[in-house]
Amino acid sequence: MRLEVKDITKSFEEKEVLHGISFSVESGRALGLLGRNGAGKTTTIRILMDIFRPNSGEVLLDGKPFAPAAQAIGYLPEERGLYPKKTVLEQMIYLGRLRGLSKKQAEENSARWLARLGVEEYAKRKLETLSKGNQQKVQLASTLVSDPEIVVLDEPFSGLDPVNSQILKDVIRELIAENKLVIFSSHQMSYVEEFCEDIAIVNFGEIVLKGDLRDIKKRYGQNRLILSADGYSLDQLTGFCKDHLSELVTVDGQTRDYLILGLKEGASRRGLLEQLLADGLPIEHFGTYEPSLNDIFVSCVGEEQENGGAA
Amino acid sequence: MKNFPTILGFELRNYFKNKSYMILTILIGVLAIAAMFLPRFFNLFGDDSGEDSESQDTYAVYDESGVIPQDLIASFFPDTEIRTAASADEVRSLVETSEAAAGFVVTSPTEYQYYVFNKTMGDSAGMAFTSLMQTASFMKYCSDNGLNFTEVQQQMTPAITYTENILGKDSGENFWYCYGLVILVFMLIILYGVMIATSITQEKSNRSIEVLVTSTNTTSLLFGKVIAGALASLFQVGFVLGGVLLSYEINRSFWGGRLDFILHIPGEVLITFALFGLGGFLFYAFLYGMMGALVSKTEDINKTAGNVQMLIMVVYFLVLFQIQNPDGIIMKVASFLPFSSYSAMFVRIAMGSVTMVEVVIAFGILVLSILGVGYIGAKVYRNSTLRYGNPLKLRHAVKGVFRKG
Repeated sequence: MRLEVKDITKSFEEKEVLHGISFSVESGRALGLLGRNGAGKTTTIRILMDIFRPNSGEVLLDGKPFAPAAQAIGYLPEERGLYPKKTVLEQMIYLGRLRGLSKKQAEENSARWLARLGVEEYAKRKLETLSKGNQQKVQLASTLVSDPEIVVLDEPFSGLDPVNSQILKDVIRELIAENKLVIFSSHQMSYVEEFCEDIAIVNFGEIVLKGDLRDIKKRYGQNRLILSADGYSLDQLTGFCKDHLSELVTVDGQTRDYLILGLKEGASRRGLLEQLLADGLPIEHFGTYEPSLNDIFVSCVGEEQENGGAA
Repeated sequence: MKNFPTILGFELRNYFKNKSYMILTILIGVLAIAAMFLPRFFNLFGDDSGEDSESQDTYAVYDESGVIPQDLIASFFPDTEIRTAASADEVRSLVETSEAAAGFVVTSPTEYQYYVFNKTMGDSAGMAFTSLMQTASFMKYCSDNGLNFTEVQQQMTPAITYTENILGKDSGENFWYCYGLVILVFMLIILYGVMIATSITQEKSNRSIEVLVTSTNTTSLLFGKVIAGALASLFQVGFVLGGVLLSYEINRSFWGGRLDFILHIPGEVLITFALFGLGGFLFYAFLYGMMGALVSKTEDINKTAGNVQMLIMVVYFLVLFQIQNPDGIIMKVASFLPFSSYSAMFVRIAMGSVTMVEVVIAFGILVLSILGVGYIGAKVYRNSTLRYGNPLKLRHAVKGVFRKG
């Protein structure tokens, strides 16, 4: 299955909030929809789920218009909510049946997903009597009760403690391994980095970066190196680079432990290393720069923000 | 609509698992049915010899000149104890201390004073005593002039017998149950309408609506809720009213037909009531559902449902004020409008003259209006799914339904 979002625009009361969002994702892969608060992630997902209608653009599944109600789809909305006065099992069966399961199937699937998420003991308890964390697990179990082929999770890690986050991560990994199509939004980069092969970064209602995460990282790391030296603070090392290496590299930034250097045109890693040794710098770390998703995100969104501000 | 049965079942279970709904239904039903059996068990109305002397009123009479014969007083007030007082003051005192319900001081053959502590709206003791004194005066005249009072009275007021043949409706007979059923359907619409609106608003306030609208279509959701409300109310009314009517029929002879005016309802009137009552219920239930969708907090429901409530109240008073004029122009117009046909057409059928064609047309308009309101309600429900904050204006919400794109 291939789900495509093509050139979606959306306005609320004359104000356009999405300006042509496009991305695609395939079965067996997870797409991380990233962006700051208010960037347009949830609106995009709600259009995908047919809660909002776009002003223009379309959503296609294998080239045909996508109708969420006609599809085996699991949706975890950003605004969590089920029936607080109903028992966990009762509402899971109800939601399962609404998504096309028989009563027997719904009962079996509910029991299985509650057990998988470690909340089977609460099956007959009213939702309102459960802790917030367990309510979230029930919500996730309800999302997956119909064993959907497409899973859309809006900020699934929001409000989860590390243990529950780990459970959710394991579940998402299993879904990907089962060839499901997974889309989830988040602004927590570390989670996305762990199991997303594709990302789409949304900023001010536009996609500012999208594609295979490894390719993006490679692109962002190309001709960039990291450097640290014994006895040198990063500021001292920056000064050293400017004084001795300005013909070979530029100082592009720094992490907590390293400087990030960009090779100038015509310069090579070997040439740089020889120069460093010749200058007698006590090298601690020297290697290829592998940007984190967080670095890429900050770089994209920061630049866009500056551009946006200038415009 | 493939999920409609699932939604209907879920919503119905909400009612039937609601303890207060079930307890109230069973309690009221059982008590009402038990009340219908009381005369059978205690034979309260079956035997005239069992009169309760304690329930008799006492009248005090002071007739210094002996204007009224004692046996005449007894014949005018057969169920009343007549206490002869020694003075006008004693009459007043007996009334003041509530030992007598009324007191009469006869001062001349054509004049008397009437004492009563609190005069009720239905007080007829004074009129009865006036009639008594007129009869006494007439008797004295007959006696003074050598006439036979009984013969003269028979000539003046001969006993007339007649047979009534009602070719149309008997408004006098149908009035009370018509009145009762109009109030009943009014109460059901208000009670269940608010429950339906609350159920929809709760799904917005607990945020389950986003999951629901992505799992099924809103038409199924709204129709499921409204039809479930209608079935729950039918069950409640059916249980209570059906139980009361049936148990009254069983015990009718023990009641001596005393409740016929309200409980001996002809079958065709009940069928009409069921059809138009249910139609009106559904029409307003969809409106209430729509109003529930316009707000996101249950405490805001009155802000939008108030308009519907006002409409229901206007229809209610209009029909009750016109109930004795069922063939008037107001009732004729009201019987075709979907807002009011549920009670106006029902009243016309029970008490007025109406042709079958008119009934069919009015019912057709009602059914089409229900479908129209249901359709618009489902669209409004869909469009207001994620609209939180201040209540949406109905005008804007309905405009949104017909807006393209």
